[in-house]
Amino acid sequence: MSSVYLLTLSQLSGRWRLLVMSVLALMPIVLTESLVLVPSGASVDEFELIVLNTMLAGSITPLVVLAIATVAFGNEVEDRTLANLTLAPIPRWQIVVPKLLATVSVAAPFIAISALATSHVAFNADATATIAVTVSTLVGLALYSSAFVWLGLATTQAVGVGLLYIVLWEGFFTTYISGVRLFSIRAYSIALMHGLDERRFADTENLGFGVTVAVSVVVFFGFLLLTIRKLRNMDVP
Amino acid sequence: MTDVTAMGPAGAEELEGTVFDIGYQSYVGPREGRGRARWAVYKDGLRSALGLGRGPRAKVIPWFFITILGVIGLVMALIAGAVNTYIGPNAAEVLDLPSHSDYYGIASIVFFVFAAVGGPEMLCPDRRDGVINLYLVRPLTGSDYISARWLAFFTVMLSVAWLPQLILLAGLTLSDANPGDYLLENWLDIPRLLTAGLAMAAYTTSLALFAASFTTRRAYASVFLVGLFVITAPFTTGLASELAEDYEGTAGAWVSMFNLSNIPVHVNDLIFGEVSLITSVAPAGEFSGWILIGWYLVWTLVPAGLLWMRYRKLTP
Amino acid sequence: MTINSEPVIRVDHVSRWFGSVVAVSDVSFDIKPGITGLLGPNGAGKTTLLRMITGLADVSDGTVTVLDQPIRNNSALFGRIGVMSEHETVYGFMKGREFVKIMGRLRGVSDLDAAADRAIELVDLVEASHRPMGTYSRGMRQRMRLAATLVHDPDILILDEPLNGADPLQRVQFQDLLRRFAADGRTIVLSSHILEEVEQVADTVLLIVNGKLAASGGFRAIRAALDKRPYHVRVMSDSPRELAAAVVTLDSVEAVNIDPDGAIVVLSNNVRALQIELPLRAEAASIRLFRVEPMDDSLESVFGYLVDG
Repeated sequence: MSSVYLLTLSQLSGRWRLLVMSVLALMPIVLTESLVLVPSGASVDEFELIVLNTMLAGSITPLVVLAIATVAFGNEVEDRTLANLTLAPIPRWQIVVPKLLATVSVAAPFIAISALATSHVAFNADATATIAVTVSTLVGLALYSSAFVWLGLATTQAVGVGLLYIVLWEGFFTTYISGVRLFSIRAYSIALMHGLDERRFADTENLGFGVTVAVSVVVFFGFLLLTIRKLRNMDVP
Repeated sequence: MTDVTAMGPAGAEELEGTVFDIGYQSYVGPREGRGRARWAVYKDGLRSALGLGRGPRAKVIPWFFITILGVIGLVMALIAGAVNTYIGPNAAEVLDLPSHSDYYGIASIVFFVFAAVGGPEMLCPDRRDGVINLYLVRPLTGSDYISARWLAFFTVMLSVAWLPQLILLAGLTLSDANPGDYLLENWLDIPRLLTAGLAMAAYTTSLALFAASFTTRRAYASVFLVGLFVITAPFTTGLASELAEDYEGTAGAWVSMFNLSNIPVHVNDLIFGEVSLITSVAPAGEFSGWILIGWYLVWTLVPAGLLWMRYRKLTP
Repeated sequence: MTINSEPVIRVDHVSRWFGSVVAVSDVSFDIKPGITGLLGPNGAGKTTLLRMITGLADVSDGTVTVLDQPIRNNSALFGRIGVMSEHETVYGFMKGREFVKIMGRLRGVSDLDAAADRAIELVDLVEASHRPMGTYSRGMRQRMRLAATLVHDPDILILDEPLNGADPLQRVQFQDLLRRFAADGRTIVLSSHILEEVEQVADTVLLIVNGKLAASGGFRAIRAALDKRPYHVRVMSDSPRELAAAVVTLDSVEAVNIDPDGAIVVLSNNVRALQIELPLRAEAASIRLFRVEPMDDSLESVFGYLVDG
């Protein structure tokens, strides 16, 4: 397990990639800092919509994860190195799980710092709200990771498909068609945030806390199982 | 092949080595120059952007985007047609429904994502697989290569920008009670939508190819571009409106200028002479036309120039 | 050399198609310990066959068993097999020794350093082993990949075009290495489109043409069988009936037919003898020969291509 994990870590870290992720992760912090500095400031609702919902949960987290997760298997398929792993005497889940863990561990620091700093600044260091934002963002990150790792194995056009999904599904449909929220990682993340800090984020339009937790577990393990199944059934290039 | 005859010994006995002609053929056709090479790179760019001549999987993504953009134009035409039919003639105009001037703004995000996915396809695989060296040993310079690629992608983006507008034009014309009169009254829309399409296509092509020139993996370039387009929108609108509320000056408007997806849409507004749906809330709209056009040129020409600089001195 | 009659790899009526393209068609054979060469022109289906033998690709029909177990998704079996694919599948950012070690770790090798040292020494790359593999030449990458294939000391070696990029000296060293492994009783399968590479080391040859098994056995036995096979030879001449009468008495000729277009078709059990005798008879009878061509020569020509190639 640890070999695949370490191998994937070194595949996932590159200067250009880390730079892109840093720039993306920095954006919400800069915006929040600027919003706080403006005298009239933004209301919590505005802040939640613009920074937390649209930026963090809806675009930055999925984009950062997309850039990393699709590479976890994508580069191995493209470079035909996947056989090095699948020909080892280890079960397939021991290839998929460390790859997913590596994806999460590369993406998480950027997103966690972004979420932590953003909410810390916005909520005057209120611990509950900060934890709610950070934890829910990280849960969203884990769900996106599981989905995009699968995508990277399932298609060679993973980035194109993933971008369409982020922009159209998570960006457009989730915003305008309320029923889509049942099937949107961005909506799960926001619902979780509301559940973790009901005092500050009192909004009843979202899914219930219990339902969200259950659906999140199903999505995470569902895509994990799909990935393992795909790796078992595919012709390894 | 009719006769089997024995060959006599060759005349020149001093020869010790012989090279047999076993059927190699040298190329005897005409040899073409740079123009043809540029044309080949251009044509190949067109084909790879649209997935032509490749498997069905390569076609899915580009044609899906083109379909979405076409559908946006079609839906706008259908709504106008339905309003005219059920509410009354010219109701669409009276109600000021979204039309040609609004289309580029509405479709911009899909348009940009298409560029972000397709642009890197123009440049990244050539460098990653080393094919660029094969190009450059031909009568083709780095400048030839990059300009042919830029033009190829520009052609694709331009067609993709114009097509839905033309669908919309056809829809609006045909749904009017008197199509001939509609065209006579609104003929100015045609040069306007064509010019605005040029502005959209030049801007997105330059930015997309510029980002693609930094990496050999398409994925990173695509994600970075979408990140720029998608995130600068909420970033700047939120901050710009707060600033505009508080300060007299142009601080809010300047922040709003950095909304990358609005930059060509402001030019679109100037061309049509009216503010479109998307930019109506952007404080940058209060700047004079010359500033907006200059800003657009900066964001189009600088990336294009830097792109050219990167490829200009390329040798195999 | 260990003599073991039990087949190690068993390919039973295996086919593989991709859409409407049949890459491998109803192929059956057994592979025993020793060196087996998989021979065929480019595109014959060698790689697809090897990918099915290693379990990387699924079969469309038939079964592949290794050590009496199905190979596909049988990860426990992979520890006993070493596979080197035709692609240069290395991580360019990794140093050679790291690559060998990580491959060993994935395959559960206990004393990693010793195993990596031994494998790298076998391929004679000790000096280059601390450089990133992106800087290697093609031949070095191939050898480092071979080291990674050998690091867990596998019983079965499956090598797809292993000599690509090797210079003549490395070829000889590699062939010595294979002979030593075979002498230990291991099973080695290597593919090539160059007969010479296979002929020098392989005990058995499997000849694949157009996705079908065209011949199998020892190289010399295949050659002899080809010579013995009855052949149809088509002869164009200015007087077919006289020619037919002249050649039908030859020992090498079994039957003669006259085609409506004036050609005669000779069925021969010994083409080599016929090649000499036919012109002599024609000359004696003052018959002009226009054209002599074998009719069913696909295997012969493939083999000829491989031999001359």
